Amino acid sequence: MSSLVGFLSLVFAIGINFYLFLSRYIFKFQKQKFNLFIRFSSLLTLLSFFSLMYAYVVSDFSNYNVFQNSHSNKPLIYKISGTWGNHEGSMLLWLCILSIFSFFFSFTKNIEDNFQKLTLIIQAFLHILFGLFIVFTSNPFLVNSILVNEGLGLNPILQDPGLAVHPPILYAGYVGYSIVFSIAIAGLFQNTDDEWLYVAKKWSLISWTFLTGGIALGSYWAYYELGWGGWWFWDPVENISLMPWIAGLALVHSLMMVRGEQAIKKWIVFLSILCFSLSVFGTFLVRSGILTSVHSFAADASRGIFILLIFFIVTGFGFLVFLLKEPKKSNALNLLFINKVSALVINNILMIIATLTILLGTIYPIIIEVLYNKRISVGGPYFNSTVIPIMIPGFLLMSIAPILSWQTNKINNSKKYVLAFIILSVLVLIQSYFLDFNTWGFVGLLLGFWIILASIIAIFSSYKIKINIKFFKIINPHVAHIGVGIAIIGITCSSVFQNELDFNLNEGDKFNVNGKTVLFEKIETTNEINFQSLRGKFLFDIEKNQSKEIEAGKNYYPVSKMITSEAGILHQWNKDIYFILGDQKNNEWFVKVLINPFVSFIWLGVIIMIYSGLIAVTRR
Amino acid sequence: MAWSDNNDLFWFNSSYKKMNRIIILTPLIILLIICFFSLTYLLSGKDPNKPPSALLNKNVPSFESTSLYDTKEIIRTTDIKNRKTLINFFASWCSPCKIEHPLFFEIGKKYPELYLLGFNHKDPTSDAKKYLEDDGNPYDFVGVDADGLIALEFGVFGLPETYLINEEGKIIFKFMGPITKDVLKNEIEPLL
Amino acid sequence: MKSSHFFRILHITILGFMFFTFKIYALETIDERVKKLTLELRCMTCQNQSIYDSDAEFSNDIKKIVKQKLQEGESEKDIKKFLAERYGEYILFRPLMNYNNIFLWSFPFILLIIGLFFVLIKTKTKKA
Repeated sequence: MSSLVGFLSLVFAIGINFYLFLSRYIFKFQKQKFNLFIRFSSLLTLLSFFSLMYAYVVSDFSNYNVFQNSHSNKPLIYKISGTWGNHEGSMLLWLCILSIFSFFFSFTKNIEDNFQKLTLIIQAFLHILFGLFIVFTSNPFLVNSILVNEGLGLNPILQDPGLAVHPPILYAGYVGYSIVFSIAIAGLFQNTDDEWLYVAKKWSLISWTFLTGGIALGSYWAYYELGWGGWWFWDPVENISLMPWIAGLALVHSLMMVRGEQAIKKWIVFLSILCFSLSVFGTFLVRSGILTSVHSFAADASRGIFILLIFFIVTGFGFLVFLLKEPKKSNALNLLFINKVSALVINNILMIIATLTILLGTIYPIIIEVLYNKRISVGGPYFNSTVIPIMIPGFLLMSIAPILSWQTNKINNSKKYVLAFIILSVLVLIQSYFLDFNTWGFVGLLLGFWIILASIIAIFSSYKIKINIKFFKIINPHVAHIGVGIAIIGITCSSVFQNELDFNLNEGDKFNVNGKTVLFEKIETTNEINFQSLRGKFLFDIEKNQSKEIEAGKNYYPVSKMITSEAGILHQWNKDIYFILGDQKNNEWFVKVLINPFVSFIWLGVIIMIYSGLIAVTRR
Repeated sequence: MAWSDNNDLFWFNSSYKKMNRIIILTPLIILLIICFFSLTYLLSGKDPNKPPSALLNKNVPSFESTSLYDTKEIIRTTDIKNRKTLINFFASWCSPCKIEHPLFFEIGKKYPELYLLGFNHKDPTSDAKKYLEDDGNPYDFVGVDADGLIALEFGVFGLPETYLINEEGKIIFKFMGPITKDVLKNEIEPLL
Repeated sequence: MKSSHFFRILHITILGFMFFTFKIYALETIDERVKKLTLELRCMTCQNQSIYDSDAEFSNDIKKIVKQKLQEGESEKDIKKFLAERYGEYILFRPLMNYNNIFLWSFPFILLIIGLFFVLIKTKTKKA
């Protein structure tokens, strides 16, 4: 029953959008009536999505999708998140979020009616494309022709709280760029006044903030769930999320530059089209089966071709309109040697180079395989060698950019900054000398601390300190950069200064980790609802009264025959101690302990960035 | 200073415009390239989980292996020169191997000139012997690859894997996973 | 400055440089070299994991072979070549710098140069 409701409301929603899109009279529509149609279509899409979710919650196995991906023994939260834990459901989620953005955009005030309608029509067009894709190739409402009592279970790796939230937030980021795309295209057609730039800014910030949160959640989840101790692998699907993130970062910075320079308008339109194109391309890469990764959904060539077609239409349409209707008037850029505009231009260039490099690295294996029938890998080492060196001058500029002037070459209090930089370099050099000297470590620490220091100096020397909302809004760019600095410190320390200790232990053995004694208590196997768990139990720091208990081991899922590694993590503010239980050999268990310094700083930095994004949304 | 003030800049203006056009066309060109390669890849039916062999059309790697049944009997690369050979890596503990096993009898019957060489990979000899006793031995020779070094030379990373070697000693076909009737008909037989 | 001062400073600088170089490139143990190399090799039976991180049977085999070859004195480059010949360049996470990959490795540099050009052209040294 719910499947029928879901399917019909979906088709109806697409139908309404078709009607709006094809109607020659859209501009003659009264704004109220038009908005009503759009909102109704959005609500129908939402209804469709919740119908699917309902089917999951009640374990309605007459729905083929629920049958394939769920199991009545699953805890409720995983039944709910199972709705989007598969290709068809997640596409419906995608469409649902697209509709939500249209819905909220229809309430925007202070923009021309026709401009708003045009934006929403383009959104409707996107809705039709993805809606048809769902109906014809990825229908989550197919009826199960066999009478069954039970479902086929869910991929065990997806049964996780982090994963319940990761896709919706991530998609809010990806799909949010659709509205920015639509706004930009509408702006090209309408040649309206520059009010649209402020609207674009708000929605770009919202999308970027969601995307930051989504990527961070994905990384955090990979860190504690996959059990290898890393949180970024330059996996193709991770790259796919990073590209719109970096391009989106360039976009929000450019939008903030609008006050100063008109010439940026063309660039902003270009970035707006680029960000969503990258999102759609990402969708294609993940769902077409062209890549293999932990994220890949089940592959199907016809699906792949359909999405490729959508990607081609959306991106081609976007850039074609850009080609034909680009803003002709563009004043020369006022670039002095080092003023705010030139700093932002340089950073934009660096960010685009980083994005394009990641793009090339991700698709290069496909190109080579088509040309030479030879498969190569472009993995972490390539991106670390190229993208990171590109970003470093960007970070350097970032540290001083907020205090640069729009018009002149002058930096106020420049002597303060130079002195601070010199002192800091010396301090970091001394610290590196006494600990493990490592070039990347030195650079990363210096950069991170410098960004924080420069931002703090800027806050205290450029503004009057007052504790009110206005003050927090004004210092927001500096706060955001402090967040980046903290994250850089965390990233540098946890990767470069990571320490690994290997042990071969019998139950009852004691071993030393960082000066603290750890007891390997015992191995315990238990039977849970849908898996068997093997855990090594450790007591950390037994000399203290309150020693901490850590468990690490593996899960075995009988339905899918998968074994997952479950690491035990002890979180401290200045490091994470990461326990991995290996295999048993000659009655001894292999235990790997990773000490990751300052991982908490990564998450702290990201949270500050998200906070800053939210504050910026509320700014004019 | 507005552009229109200065006529000297006119030539610069128009070539600037042309350059501008080219720059703006670039994303569309890149789009076409990406779509072309992606479409070609999709249509070719390549499997991202199965990389093409690095040894295709290269000489079969040199190996030396003792027979499962007689430690004095040794097979070397030179022994399969001038004859078409089908090499199959298998083990008694490998369940997909059991699925493809009957097909080798068919192949052996249909193509008697084809030399069937089986490599028993990381398997205790007693288990392997029992397996071949229970399910039959379709191979002309069963070589022991106890430590997996022979498989390493071939670039094997999962069982079963099958290679076809032509009379000149070049690897002309590799297949990962159990061979099915379709694979036999469409891919192997045309090469025989 | 007096030439004796100059040579003294030069001497200290060279010593300092040598000291730092030695500290950075001090001989690593075999296990460290195995770790470094296997971090850049793909586990062929896993999803996008390095041989170092993975405890699959395939990875353990390769780790043994790498260690053995390093102990026999083979260089990292030779070992990579050995594995690439058998498993394809796919097993290398760092793409080789060969003719096919010229574009891949030079792409960021080309873009940087274009970007630099752009900035230089657009920058005015005086106020508008």
